[in-house]
Amino acid sequence: MTKRNRMLISRLGMDAHWRGSIVVAKALRDAGMEVIYGGNQMPDKIVDAAIQEDVDIIGLSSLSGNHMILAPEVIEILRSKGINDVMVVFGGTVPPDDVPKLKEAGIAEIFGPGTSLKKIVGYFKDQGYL
Amino acid sequence: MFHDDYIAELKSRTDAWRTECHGRKKEFKKSFRTLSGIPIEPLYTPEHLAGTDYLRDLGFPGEPPYIRGVHPTMYRGRTWTHRQLAGFGPPEETNKRYKFLMDQGATGINGVYDYPTLRGYDSDDPEARADVGRGGVAIDTIKDMEILFDGIPIDHVSVSLVSCQPVGNISLQSMYFANARNRGISYDKLTGTSQNDFLLETAITIAPGVLPPKASFKLSVDAIEYCMKFVPRWNPISFAGYNYREAGCTAPQEVAFCIANAIACTEDMIRRGYDVDSFAPRLSFFNSAHNDFFEEIAKYRAARRIYCRIMKERFGAKDPRSLMYRFHVQTAGVALTAQQPLNNIARASYHALAAVLGGAQSVHVDAYDEALCTPTELSSLTALRTQQILQHETGVTNTVDPLGGSYFVEYLTNAMEERILEIIAAIDDMGGIVKAVERGWVHSEISAAASEYQAAIESGAMPIVGVNCYQIEDEKLPIELFSSPETRDIQIEKLNRIKKERSDSEVQKALDAIKRCCEEDGNLMEVNVEAVSAYVTEGEITKTMKSHYGVWHPPLY
Repeated sequence: MTKRNRMLISRLGMDAHWRGSIVVAKALRDAGMEVIYGGNQMPDKIVDAAIQEDVDIIGLSSLSGNHMILAPEVIEILRSKGINDVMVVFGGTVPPDDVPKLKEAGIAEIFGPGTSLKKIVGYFKDQGYL
Repeated sequence: MFHDDYIAELKSRTDAWRTECHGRKKEFKKSFRTLSGIPIEPLYTPEHLAGTDYLRDLGFPGEPPYIRGVHPTMYRGRTWTHRQLAGFGPPEETNKRYKFLMDQGATGINGVYDYPTLRGYDSDDPEARADVGRGGVAIDTIKDMEILFDGIPIDHVSVSLVSCQPVGNISLQSMYFANARNRGISYDKLTGTSQNDFLLETAITIAPGVLPPKASFKLSVDAIEYCMKFVPRWNPISFAGYNYREAGCTAPQEVAFCIANAIACTEDMIRRGYDVDSFAPRLSFFNSAHNDFFEEIAKYRAARRIYCRIMKERFGAKDPRSLMYRFHVQTAGVALTAQQPLNNIARASYHALAAVLGGAQSVHVDAYDEALCTPTELSSLTALRTQQILQHETGVTNTVDPLGGSYFVEYLTNAMEERILEIIAAIDDMGGIVKAVERGWVHSEISAAASEYQAAIESGAMPIVGVNCYQIEDEKLPIELFSSPETRDIQIEKLNRIKKERSDSEVQKALDAIKRCCEEDGNLMEVNVEAVSAYVTEGEITKTMKSHYGVWHPPLY
């Protein structure tokens, strides 16, 4: 059964690189995802937007190196509000050592530099969102 | 350059060669194209340059239309500046990296600032808390600028402030000038460049709290006006085609957006009452060197010819320096891969070679680890050495514009020129680059190009070694990664101390002056140089300006 597929894509903190997040947002939209593009936000605002938009997935993007501080905070704030059914994924530049740490913090999947759109779309298909 | 009869004979001989010889062999692809999509023939001959008049269209280096180079001797008499980008953590740390690079033979400084600094936020701003010291050095007050350039002879060394957007630039440039004044160095001794490009703020590198396009553009022109009056050897703007390209532009878009931006600045300065030759000699450009070697070379050459003609014909510029498209090149970061990172040394070398064969005035070579982290000392040094090898070992500097006259390169230069001019005409029709940004046209053009680029990688049409071919499964990283030093606490401690020691009444006076200047539409550089001298922070300046101009939500998606 296909799950609902509303997704918020936001860039973390002050990261200024929008290319990847926009290319991915468009590809997911073309694959049937309902994408809401949040622009730059801090974790509390991302969670507020996710609740307001009633999304099923949050996609975080950052190339600035702020991921280890801000990405886990998104999960913490979600949990503190009792939200456990929103999946959070991350795309951007992440040193390999940080990948297991982000997963442990509750980020479901990390898409590093060079990941193909096919792989990203395939992931959401496998998870039953598309 | 050739007689009609000769071209006619050549054409028939070429047709014969095509059917009888070339046509019988198989080629790898049905059609060959440049990265931006210009079709490429199997062979170029004088036929392709039938309409070219050497003296009119090519000419001599150091003379219009400058296609063969802006200086008569080019690298035989003047080396390109080896200007390696550096910046991370607190200014104390970046100062050490600057000195290291200078000790190793770098001939200019290229300073990049962290995300909050570029956007006009102080290090203690809650919005900035996760980004302080990342992607560049953190600067909050003139004290930081003093530390950053401590012990560096800024009256002799040319310094590039990679200040990106006007909103941050106006504070950084003010701090740089005011710091020079405090050191007793007169403004006419200062040489360097500020980036100061409103397209970066409003379309290319979007972050929170973007100034509206008109306001951002105004700040960029304020800096041009200020430098024209007071800092005559400073390049107050560097139209940042490099960044446009990184965001997704094609090569023709990169140059077209740069020149459209230069046109807008020129028009605005003329509207402010200045003669074109009083400021145009200091307008400068910043371009990318991407994967398609010949297309990049053609791009630089076409840019020089177009710019010369526009400045001369549209604006009546007479000073030769007003007609010169002078540019810095950074090798394309977006072309680097996180996979098999040492391969990036080879990529960046080809990119740098294209820049030099294209006649760049200044080059930064990307470090091999840039798809993964801020460069380490070793990767920065390797990048600098790449430049030195190119200059001293390869012999490419021995003659001017060595590819000039290549049938292919000249043809491609013409083809590139045609495409660039089409885009400039489209922007003119919209009422100029500021309007094109306001209506979201620039954003949608760039994101469409970025999606096409990604599609070409995914279809395999664009092979990227290590990414869609020659991959290594479960690769172990062969390099050590850089981790940013602790920055935020150091910056906050300095900020607190400065706020305690400075004169509150001076600060209030300076902020009132900025507010009044916004209301009266005066030149904000002039008041900001005084404000930073009173230890007003960058964040305070930005907030004051934003309370007047408001913020804008760029139409990205």
